[in-house]
Amino acid sequence: MQVDQETYLLLLLSDAHLPTGSFVASAGLESTAAHALFHVPATPPGSDTLAFLRNSVDTYARSTLPFARDAHRVTTAYASGEMTELDEALQALSRLDALYNASTLNHGFTRPPFLMLKTPTTYLPLLDERENRAGALMAALKLRVRRGDSDAPGHLPICWGVLAGVLGLTVDHGAYIHLFLHARGVLSAAIRMNALGPYAAQQLLLHAVKHMVDDALTSTAHVVSRALQDEIDPEHAEDRLPATTWPLGDLLAARHDLLHSRIFNS
Amino acid sequence: MSNATVVLDAGDGNITARIHNNHVVFPVLSYTYPLKLLSPRIQQDGVAVVYMMTYGGGLVGGDRISLSINVEQDAQLVLLSQGSTKVFKARSGVRAAARSTARPPDSTTMQRLDVSIAAGGALFLLPDPVTCFRNASYRQAQTFRLAHGASAALLDWYTSGRRARGEEWAFARYYSVNEVFVSSVRSARDVVLLEAMGTESASDVCGEFLPRRTLADRMGPYSCYATLLLYGPLVQGVIRELEDRVQKITVFQVREPLDVLWSLSPVSGQTNGRIVRVAGKETEEVKKWLSDALRGGLVSVIGDEVYSKTFI
Repeated sequence: MQVDQETYLLLLLSDAHLPTGSFVASAGLESTAAHALFHVPATPPGSDTLAFLRNSVDTYARSTLPFARDAHRVTTAYASGEMTELDEALQALSRLDALYNASTLNHGFTRPPFLMLKTPTTYLPLLDERENRAGALMAALKLRVRRGDSDAPGHLPICWGVLAGVLGLTVDHGAYIHLFLHARGVLSAAIRMNALGPYAAQQLLLHAVKHMVDDALTSTAHVVSRALQDEIDPEHAEDRLPATTWPLGDLLAARHDLLHSRIFNS
Repeated sequence: MSNATVVLDAGDGNITARIHNNHVVFPVLSYTYPLKLLSPRIQQDGVAVVYMMTYGGGLVGGDRISLSINVEQDAQLVLLSQGSTKVFKARSGVRAAARSTARPPDSTTMQRLDVSIAAGGALFLLPDPVTCFRNASYRQAQTFRLAHGASAALLDWYTSGRRARGEEWAFARYYSVNEVFVSSVRSARDVVLLEAMGTESASDVCGEFLPRRTLADRMGPYSCYATLLLYGPLVQGVIRELEDRVQKITVFQVREPLDVLWSLSPVSGQTNGRIVRVAGKETEEVKKWLSDALRGGLVSVIGDEVYSKTFI
């Protein structure tokens, strides 16, 4: 059986526990449980996990995915030569990072360091000639993030978008995997918290998660970060700005550090 | 009270606050229906109060309020309201408050606030919360441009509706953008979108596995949410008190959700800035929390008389 390159990459990426191995961040689930808004066990079993997932996937798709898509687009534009200067591409990524910073006013979110950026070297032999320009962008970004440049904090969605762009995935595939991995990460945390078992988690992934990811992607495909345009009038950009759709989730995640005992970092 | 040289559209307002002999004066204080602005006389030097009001105490679909504020150097302005801003659902027909410029009738209520604050100046935006009634659609855009050395305490909050009428997150749409720039660099862009018809209502196939959910499902058990942005030298006292309070919190596993939840986080690029988020089961409890949390730090800046007008 022959698999095309992109399919194979998709298999690898969906198996990867990028960036932190999925055992570090609970996406606010642990804090939600401590505040009695997520029950272990729930009645009926798995119902609280499903509700949490729906809220989390919905807000993640609306607030964070646009940044991954935009970073992906910058990477593709540079790799194809449509964007000619490396500096222009780095500046665009920097603006995305800065806007993501200003939009995510919740210090409970983790940052992925450059381990995310190391990964592509594993995949490089599979890439075609575009890898030279894409590789150069990746190397330059990695250097800035490692150096701790203030304009390259290297937030997760931006790094993911660059990675997906370097690997030659389509923007839609890159976004799909990223959202799927987010949902899968929440389920891993739920299993670790004994909220449900691995088989129940697989059932959720097979049915409910597929629907919620599909719906979330469709309804947010038009949302752009607006980092790369000049200042826009927020009054008129309303349908296209990233937004949180679950303020309670943000609040609970921000309170994670106040938990007396915790098994996750966030 | 109108400034004759400026043509105002329905719902427009303009305020310029300036220090003159240690009093705050208003070279500009203009408004048109349905917006009304009122500035009471107060004893305290260096600070002034303006009440923002709407005729009839509420707004309906199609209404648009647009207020521009300029706080000049060293002036301190406290912006309050008189009661919660009530947002009714759309009514058919053209409103008296419809804009003069040809614009298709819209069922959304829109409020816009554009603020500049000069060095040494301060804005304390402490209105009552917005309450959207059943099927209402509301949108607001608030942009704050602070010079280096300007201060601001910006409260933006909303409730679940008229609970006495069984309205618990029964509005159609609430959309809010709050943006803060400090020395022309964006520090915060906080955007909230709450829609009654979310993605999960999309397809029948989806419906089979994922039952329809309401806004109440994702907002409950809380019925009031608040965001408070704090910047600049004059709110450092407030920030210190909040940091002390948060240090004292340890969350042990609870059996029932807490009545009031709050968090304190840094903002991007500003070591002297913070964002506070609060949620409560009752609006009165959130109001009480805010009033207590801000009193110490703000009374020392704006005085008792002015502070006593807040959170009534």
